[in-house]
Amino acid sequence: MLAPVVGTAVQTFWFTNQNFLSTVTMTHAILDDSPNQMPTSPRRLTPRNSLIVVLPENHTISPAGLADRLPRGDTSDVDVIVACAGQPVNLHALQRTVSDAQFLLAPAGTSMEDLRELALQRAPGDIVTLLSGALIDASASEQAEILKSS
Amino acid sequence: MSLPQLRLSVIVPARNAASTLGTVLTAVRASQLPPNSYEIIVVDDCSGDASAAIGARYADVVVRLNGRVAGPAYARNRGAEVARGEVIAFVDADVIVAPDTLPRMLAALDTSPTLGGVSASHDDEKEAPNFVTEYWNLLLRFGEERYAAGRAHFASGCGAVRREVLESVGKYDEWRFATGCLESLELGRRLHEAGHDVLLDPALKVSHLTRWTLGSVCREVWSRSVLLARSLGYQRTRALIPGEVVFTLSRALTPIVAIGATLSLAAAFLPGLYVSSETAVALAVLLLANHSMHGFFAKSRGVGFAVAAAPIHLCVQGVSAVALCAGWILRDAVGDIVPDATTQAYSEVGLQTWPPIPRRP
Repeated sequence: MLAPVVGTAVQTFWFTNQNFLSTVTMTHAILDDSPNQMPTSPRRLTPRNSLIVVLPENHTISPAGLADRLPRGDTSDVDVIVACAGQPVNLHALQRTVSDAQFLLAPAGTSMEDLRELALQRAPGDIVTLLSGALIDASASEQAEILKSS
Repeated sequence: MSLPQLRLSVIVPARNAASTLGTVLTAVRASQLPPNSYEIIVVDDCSGDASAAIGARYADVVVRLNGRVAGPAYARNRGAEVARGEVIAFVDADVIVAPDTLPRMLAALDTSPTLGGVSASHDDEKEAPNFVTEYWNLLLRFGEERYAAGRAHFASGCGAVRREVLESVGKYDEWRFATGCLESLELGRRLHEAGHDVLLDPALKVSHLTRWTLGSVCREVWSRSVLLARSLGYQRTRALIPGEVVFTLSRALTPIVAIGATLSLAAAFLPGLYVSSETAVALAVLLLANHSMHGFFAKSRGVGFAVAAAPIHLCVQGVSAVALCAGWILRDAVGDIVPDATTQAYSEVGLQTWPPIPRRP
């Protein structure tokens, strides 16, 4: 389902993990500059949390490293979005690992800053945490080094 | 989610700050700090522009407040609630920090265990985009350098406070200060009363991006003066927060003299009148009373600047004097500042909602 929009700066493919796994078809949308991208929600008693994991282009993140940074247990109160520039080579593995996450695929060449901004527009949360995929792997390798040396 | 505790959380409250926020956050990112030792939290206070989106480009956490504008005190408190740092630094959305500002603040807190908070002052070396902005920045710098250093003066434009200390005093007073300006001074006063040292370090300098006009300066001075006189009382806080611009403006002479001098000066420019001896005397008294400030201006920017700034200062001083009187009258007639009736009622019944109802410190 393509919805071309005149004046679009960045073309972004947005699909849910569930759709991808069940039908292997992606729901496509093109982001425009309109401010109504964020789903509206009724008044809440507590803040809604969103977690955005931003993956650099051509960056291979281990599913385990990603899962380690995601909320454990009941994740219904946290919206997880994985934003990637280009399609990661291990996309299927990532989707299997974080089955509740939504994946935002931007065209290759999209800068990290643009990716973060696009992901925020899609995130419904009041409190949005943005994690860099590069840092996730870096900290994982640091932890591995610490374990090795100890 | 396994998110470790950090050394520092930098909280940037933003309200329609899209034009400056990117520059501010870039400067914070350029700080000489280990990459994984700090986080940036942008709190978007119902902006009508792209502040939240710009914040997301640089920040680790974006807090989006919806509903109605709640003010910087409220926004900073919401940021502090999600912060993971041992130390919390507040940086306004128009303040540019130097690469060593935040590390030096951390070092100051590490060095002195009794130090609860430390803040930076205005940079008087950087040139401003226009004359009024230069005057305003120098006036604030003069107040900070002359009266505030070594006193309980906390400046949230760029200030850091220990997280446990901030929580122990109940954070910012979001109940009374829905508009910006004095919430930082009031927090500094409470930190001081709780037994913590509060340091405004003149050696730590930050520059401000806000471009001031005579009108915006007068509005700011009016707002600060009314708020100060109404909420805190003038005499009671004069000794505790002497670096506030209102005190800097009114320190040299009584407000009555300022009003008299302003009116006399205005009369001198009306057609058919001439500069009377009374006006000349009033002007002389005014300049003499402010000689230290004019001397500071002359030393910083030259005699020409000091002479050119004198009429602006006179005007601003007059606004401050009238506003202080208005604040005192409001304090006597209406009382202290409180939120609207609906907010008070919601608070009374303990209504839970997001964003939360403002709380008393």
